[in-house]
Amino acid sequence: MNQLSQPAVLADGLCKSFAAKQVLSNLDLALAPGTVLGLLGANGSGKTTLIKCLLGLFRTSGGRAQIFGEDAWNLSATTKERIGYVPQEVATYPWMRVRHVIDYTAAFYPRWNRELVADLCRRWRLPLDERSGSLSVGQLQTLGIVLALGHEPELLILDEPVASLDPGARREFLRTLIDLVEHPDRTVLFSTHITSDLERVASQIALLRDGQIEFCGELDLLKDRVKRLRILAPDALPASFAVAGALSCQVDGKLAVATVADFSPQEIDELRQTWNADVTVSDLNLEEIFVELHDSESPKLSQGELTGAVR
Amino acid sequence: MDTSPLQFDIAPSSGVPIYRQIVDQVVALVAGGRLTPGDFLPSVRQVAQTADVNPMTVSKAYGLLESDGVVERIRGQGMCVSATATSGPLAERREQAQQLLAPAIHRARLLGLTDKQIRALFEASLKDSAK
Repeated sequence: MNQLSQPAVLADGLCKSFAAKQVLSNLDLALAPGTVLGLLGANGSGKTTLIKCLLGLFRTSGGRAQIFGEDAWNLSATTKERIGYVPQEVATYPWMRVRHVIDYTAAFYPRWNRELVADLCRRWRLPLDERSGSLSVGQLQTLGIVLALGHEPELLILDEPVASLDPGARREFLRTLIDLVEHPDRTVLFSTHITSDLERVASQIALLRDGQIEFCGELDLLKDRVKRLRILAPDALPASFAVAGALSCQVDGKLAVATVADFSPQEIDELRQTWNADVTVSDLNLEEIFVELHDSESPKLSQGELTGAVR
Repeated sequence: MDTSPLQFDIAPSSGVPIYRQIVDQVVALVAGGRLTPGDFLPSVRQVAQTADVNPMTVSKAYGLLESDGVVERIRGQGMCVSATATSGPLAERREQAQQLLAPAIHRARLLGLTDKQIRALFEASLKDSAK
């Protein structure tokens, strides 16, 4: 029973500084087993730092980082066996042939699924007899993914795994992830800038901004709640025109465009009545939501705002 | 009859969550008579693999359809369109059509047309499409 309540990944008041530069400040994050979490954040927001702290590759400056209930800095061998990790830049021994890199990695694990690995190599057309030093960046990245999957980890952590992959290989990667998460206990955390990939596979989204998790929750809920309103009034709207709880609001004469974080039909009716205005509501995809949240100067999107039940 | 997973037209990058797209499409297929009681929905796995989306999202959609009484879970066989799913299809169809019309009316008003002109246009379009 303990397994159920214990998060696969936990950050509790996590802080990380490099000299005087604070990258993560008091960051909280918990991943329940079976979650596929997409980690989004601008360049330099600290995604890689967070991942490395969670894996115990960086020592935290404060707070806790845990994997399967163990301190990330002191992970036991049995816990490490349950983790797969694909770093942003995959490093291997360049003089080794690809098949030897695979055999070499396999030797570290008591359990290794050769069939799965052979199948993945075929799907990705990895040249097994070439030296790994002659692989392209994209091929090296796919090799990194294969190496991280061979021992069928319960927890897979990937740092921008698809940044160098072509669209076909990216889709192949997503299919692999989809196959993987058919097993309900598998947990995946991956950072990326490609929001359309997250829309396919992520159940949860975490947004990293200013060293903290600005939002963490269901992708569906985010799409249900964040909406853009176009308000067209018969007369010019006052410069002070504002929509309660809006992430952004632009007024131009009779027209106002606002993005709200917590869409409610009642609010629309109120706007219609108060301003005698035409209000249209449009859906936003993850990329648009990301940009809105990121550009917004408003205080953090509170968890409370987005915890309403899904209809 | 089994339904092909290709019946679903899923746009992952739309602002409409994927689970809702599936729910809406199944409801529309039932309302339009293209899915009838006793028809089986494609399996979660089939839909997930065909559309390259997370199977959990498909399960969630099917769960909602089940709790709305549109489909029933038949043990070992999958999701079956329920016998009661067709009750009141007209109301359903009307509501859907209204949702399609509302933005068109809105745009027509923005183009400066009067209600009378819009009505005339609607009549003309209706005649046109009947040809």
